[in-house]
Amino acid sequence: MTDFLGVVTTRHAYALFVLLSAIGLYMMIANENLVKKIIGLNMFQTGVFLFFVTSAYRIGGAAPIVTEGGGPYVSPLPQVIVLTAIVVGISLTAVGLALTIRLYSEYGTLRADALREVIGDE
Amino acid sequence: MSVAAPQLAGLVPLQSVGITPIEASLFVFVLLTAVLTALFRDVLASIVVFAAYSLGLALLYTFYRAPDVGLTEAAIGAGVTTVFLLLTIAKTTRPATDARFEAINWPAVGVCGLFVLVVAATLPAFPAVGDPASPILANADVTGYYLANAYDETGAENAVTAVLAAYRGFDTFGEAIVVFAAGIASLLVLGREVFTA
Repeated sequence: MTDFLGVVTTRHAYALFVLLSAIGLYMMIANENLVKKIIGLNMFQTGVFLFFVTSAYRIGGAAPIVTEGGGPYVSPLPQVIVLTAIVVGISLTAVGLALTIRLYSEYGTLRADALREVIGDE
Repeated sequence: MSVAAPQLAGLVPLQSVGITPIEASLFVFVLLTAVLTALFRDVLASIVVFAAYSLGLALLYTFYRAPDVGLTEAAIGAGVTTVFLLLTIAKTTRPATDARFEAINWPAVGVCGLFVLVVAATLPAFPAVGDPASPILANADVTGYYLANAYDETGAENAVTAVLAAYRGFDTFGEAIVVFAAGIASLLVLGREVFTA
């Protein structure tokens, strides 16, 4: 039990990453509303971003703005890949939401179960 | 602030490396908003709580010394995403509901629980959060190289900017192409690709 606590209190941000990704996954599976599915996708992504940012963190480290005689710094590399991923994520969200709007104008519903029925009937 | 632990190597739980009160309170805030986002039945309420969630995460990123990521998350996660989501429900529908919360879908909870168990089983193999001996920080050939040479080679004091715009410039260019393609795709899907004067 102390072992478990030791792991959770020292790997706390990784544990949070697992939980946030799981909640995002839950939203994608359980919510029938397409907009909420997309919110879930975003939440899953932010969980992964947290994982990257945390892996770069160094206790007592400074933000990676390099000055003479400064340091130690956190690692800049995971942060850069997260910046790229955030922008790719918003592109994905935009296309997903555009498809959602189109689906609504074609079928008049945002619920995945209703959509399956309507499309299955055609 | 200095790291007091004498031995920071390896995967042993470190006494000086633990959760701080700031982290703990942000964790509670982020988890609470995440759960509420999932459970609110009203989509608008869900979107608003999700914006708060993004803001909490931006603060957390800032705490982990990633100000660039924090700013981007605040601008894009809490800002642009929220606007897109609101535009979507304005263009479509916001289902009227009596119940405040969604009914919990237990099979989905089971699947997610399994996901948590499998991924969490790898946690002991990670280095502790902030451990300077972790492979990513102790690696003088990669992280060390960029920190030591970024300014001399690119002239940017911010190592994140240096990597983003110089070392990984083509990657960032590809990212711009992704955004462009997403814009075109959205216009195509919405049937707005023809602009008339």
